Amino acid sequence: MNRLWWTQVKAVIRLELKKTFFAKRGLWIYAVAALPVLLFIAYAVVTSNQQHRSARIAREGEKPLSYQDLLAVKPGMTKDQVVATLGRPPLDIHWTERRPTGPGAFDEIQHERFQYSDGQNDLFVEFVGDKVEGANVQDAYNLGEDAIVFAGVFQFFFLRLAIFFGCLGVFMNLFRGEVLDRSLHFYFLSPVRREVLMAGKFLAGLLATCTIFVTSEILQTLAFLWHFSPRARDLYLYHHHGLEHAAAYVGVTILACIGYGAFFLVAGMLFRNPIIPAAVILIWEGINPFLPALLKQFSVIYYLKSLCPVEIPVSPGTPGLFALLISNADPVSSPLAIIGILVVAFVALAVSSFQVKRMEINYTTE
Amino acid sequence: MNDRIIFEDVSKFYGEILGVNRVNLSIPPGITSLVGPNGSGKTTLMNLMTGLVKPSRGRIQVLGINTDDPENLFKIVGYSTQFDAFPRGLTGFQFIYSYLCLSGISAQEAERTAWEAIQRVNLVDAASRKIGAYSKGMRQRIRLAQALAHNPKVLVLDEPLNGLDPLARAEMIALFRASAAAGSYVIISSHILHEVDVISDQVILLSNGYVVAEGQIQTVRNEIQEHPTQILIRCDRPRELAAKLFESEYMIEASIHKDGRGLLLKTKDADRFYLTLNHLALNGIQIESIAPADDDVLSVYEYLIGNEEVVR
Repeated sequence: MNRLWWTQVKAVIRLELKKTFFAKRGLWIYAVAALPVLLFIAYAVVTSNQQHRSARIAREGEKPLSYQDLLAVKPGMTKDQVVATLGRPPLDIHWTERRPTGPGAFDEIQHERFQYSDGQNDLFVEFVGDKVEGANVQDAYNLGEDAIVFAGVFQFFFLRLAIFFGCLGVFMNLFRGEVLDRSLHFYFLSPVRREVLMAGKFLAGLLATCTIFVTSEILQTLAFLWHFSPRARDLYLYHHHGLEHAAAYVGVTILACIGYGAFFLVAGMLFRNPIIPAAVILIWEGINPFLPALLKQFSVIYYLKSLCPVEIPVSPGTPGLFALLISNADPVSSPLAIIGILVVAFVALAVSSFQVKRMEINYTTE
Repeated sequence: MNDRIIFEDVSKFYGEILGVNRVNLSIPPGITSLVGPNGSGKTTLMNLMTGLVKPSRGRIQVLGINTDDPENLFKIVGYSTQFDAFPRGLTGFQFIYSYLCLSGISAQEAERTAWEAIQRVNLVDAASRKIGAYSKGMRQRIRLAQALAHNPKVLVLDEPLNGLDPLARAEMIALFRASAAAGSYVIISSHILHEVDVISDQVILLSNGYVVAEGQIQTVRNEIQEHPTQILIRCDRPRELAAKLFESEYMIEASIHKDGRGLLLKTKDADRFYLTLNHLALNGIQIESIAPADDDVLSVYEYLIGNEEVVR
């Protein structure tokens, strides 16, 4: 790219960024990007409250308990045995159940629930009469499980919906929006090669979507880690690949913006109604796991799934089709996945480049 | 030819609708007006000239540059369109400045040049206001500033005087004339024919997508043989003058003006008529003025296309 073209690309980016970031019709993209952040913030707030409650219960207990103490309670133990092991419960709820035994006759069954905590994990002991009927330990938080939840939200909401529709909103409007506004001639009357204009618009869209969605991704990670103790955070980030995972998610977000951006840029030039290409691409991406190996390669999600750092485990008993959606049966290596997305994007941009040269200003037919 | 705007057998169809058909033109420097009613193909011709639409057939070159080469074309071409839409949220200054920045010049030079262009169209006071708040005339002027900003050799102006008040019209016309005098190519479309008449060096008359005539207006008029030339003469003895003129075979019709001091004549040979008139003037009839009455664009257009299509 020669110096003049680069200067022109920068001029296009400056104009487009202003329009993209401050366009009223693009406000919903911020809302979509903020949704998973709000979800993780809400989750963090609820979990944090639970932690405070657990800590309070632990403080109010007769003696400090360990996680092993909580596991010591087994069904069939008597109330006295439980109290002897864990002390008097800080929280004790009891109620009476009237169970009918015949016409007008009832048995009164005494229920009681003790709650203990080691400060982080809670134990719920259910008594029927004097015997332990059930003892459930509820882990206050589990970074491993939460990381899988995070991966699920990332793959099934953030990638497939938020970034997908966000890119649709930004990239399809780069040319299409200006045709509808009847202002595209402003660019077409300037001494700029159409391909340079397209490159500038694409880079502006990419900068805008990357800024919005990478910020969202970083905020999601912060919200996700917020309620963990500093020690647990350090352990996760520096000893359990947490930092690598966070970087990988940012990388996948950027690649998703490149891939979907290129797709929607060309779609915005070829179609008048954005709903049609959006639906086609959404369906194509959705049925990707069921496609033959060769066809899979012509989609963005195929490569993105292979790059996601945390694989979502398929629980036993999950229906076959759903399991196929969750699992990545045919993954490609990371370098190949990155090259794959870049090639798909390059092909889409080459088509855009051809298309933009053929574009005419004829607003009356729109 | 690298010193002309060339159309070679150019046709443009919008689906089945004709834009222009089989246009062959060679436009020299100076002010050239495109004249024709709505739908005659004026804007299509301008859009073709600037590459905004592609010809269905034929070839167009602007001073040797193909219209599908915007990088070079718009270094020498400025186009003020009729599209009344602008990029959102820009002030008048930002509009011109952004346009200049797109050409790759430095920010300082773009700023200086933008202010110069804004000054040329007298819009300095409104330059920092959003274009969305501009009046129609101000939007017209800012479009003109965009077309003029980079001092192009070829100025293409689609209805440039629309929405302008008389003073602004006069200023703009002076601007176009100055550009043409400096050797520029100024292509203007207008439906206000008397203004076209005043400013044009040559005209291109269009009807239903076809070029029906082109050239200097007098030349075009002289070529229309089936309509006699009309001449208005102000003199002291119009009846006597009419009688003497009818002695010649090329006079067709004469009518006395109602104030009794003028004569409207129709002749089929203007050159011989003027020779005879000189002779009569020497023989004592006092002639105050002689003016052609139908070598304006309106008359020529009426003769060529017919009354029903004339745009006044």
